[in-house]
Amino acid sequence: MDQDDVLTILKILMIGESNVGKSSILLRFTEDEFHDNIQNTVGMDYKSKKMSIDGGTVKLAIWDTAGQERFRTLTPNYYRDGQGAILVFDVTDRTSFTKLDMWLTELHTYSNKPDIVKMVVGNKIDLPNRQVTTEEGLQFARRHQTLYIESSAKTADGIMCCFEELVQKIIQTPGLWDGYSYEALNNMNSNNGPRQRLGKRGIQLTDDYEPDNTYSSCYC
Amino acid sequence: MEDVLDEIVSTEDLKKFEIMYNKQLQGEAVDTNIQFQYAWCLVRSKYPVDIRKGIMLLEDLFNKTGETEKRDCLYYLAIGNARIKKYPEAMKYVKAFLQLEPSNEQVQRLELLIKKKMEREGLKGMAIAGGVIVGIASVLGLGIAMAKKG
Repeated sequence: MDQDDVLTILKILMIGESNVGKSSILLRFTEDEFHDNIQNTVGMDYKSKKMSIDGGTVKLAIWDTAGQERFRTLTPNYYRDGQGAILVFDVTDRTSFTKLDMWLTELHTYSNKPDIVKMVVGNKIDLPNRQVTTEEGLQFARRHQTLYIESSAKTADGIMCCFEELVQKIIQTPGLWDGYSYEALNNMNSNNGPRQRLGKRGIQLTDDYEPDNTYSSCYC
Repeated sequence: MEDVLDEIVSTEDLKKFEIMYNKQLQGEAVDTNIQFQYAWCLVRSKYPVDIRKGIMLLEDLFNKTGETEKRDCLYYLAIGNARIKKYPEAMKYVKAFLQLEPSNEQVQRLELLIKKKMEREGLKGMAIAGGVIVGIASVLGLGIAMAKKG
């Protein structure tokens, strides 16, 4: 199978209000495409993509949630085992920014990994009528100890960076991914001995863990 | 997990929404949201009997809800049917969805996925049939060879 060279599988969640661009960010990241007028996601969508990091390959299992209210009751279960969360807001829509508090609370309530890595993304920076400033976004991120980046799915600005930063931070967070990769790899290849040892390689990577780096160095 | 058709609902979720739905059944009318949530869980169950029940609930919902909820029903009707390998049925719902939203990327991907499964399983079916034919032929061949010897 194509899992042969994969070091680990990381579960990533995309959350935030409806129409902020979660699916567009994901589409830009996975297919390098942008569609005008992308329709509302139905319930829950799933995409996977391999990514090279520190000379190894990780597979991202990305859950794209519908932002609409009527799906809210069914989403919490998707938070389980998530190692990274991308909280998206639209820089031209202040309400989507103020609602981030609610999304963070929801994430904290339902996530079973207390040190899940969070990335706040201010999307649609290509649009002129901005309502939330970069400073406000950064302040929010600092206050809640999350990474921060601004992006445009339309122009591709900040999209790769967003995922790279997030994955880098997950890999650098001790205990966040070893257990999961073990479990995932064991489930997939239950009778494949050598593969099970791969997950342990991550322990070396935790040496350069930088707890003070609370927002994205990519951001400029 | 490789795609949306592989996803299995957790037992707790299924239980939780089953209880909520059953409570509603005892009342005067069933809230359409609760019916949808229960059906959404059912079509992601690992048991075909659950999936079939989910499909029934979604079909029922489709006839009594507004336009926005109809698209949710169509999507999960496609998923449910594909999961019990009723591919032509699943394709019917995908096509109906794409008639409403021709450029919906999520549903276009589901269509491709169902087509792929169909092809793969069609080939598997042919391989099994092929295997049976080879088997029969070899038994026959052996029989003929033995008959000749005798």
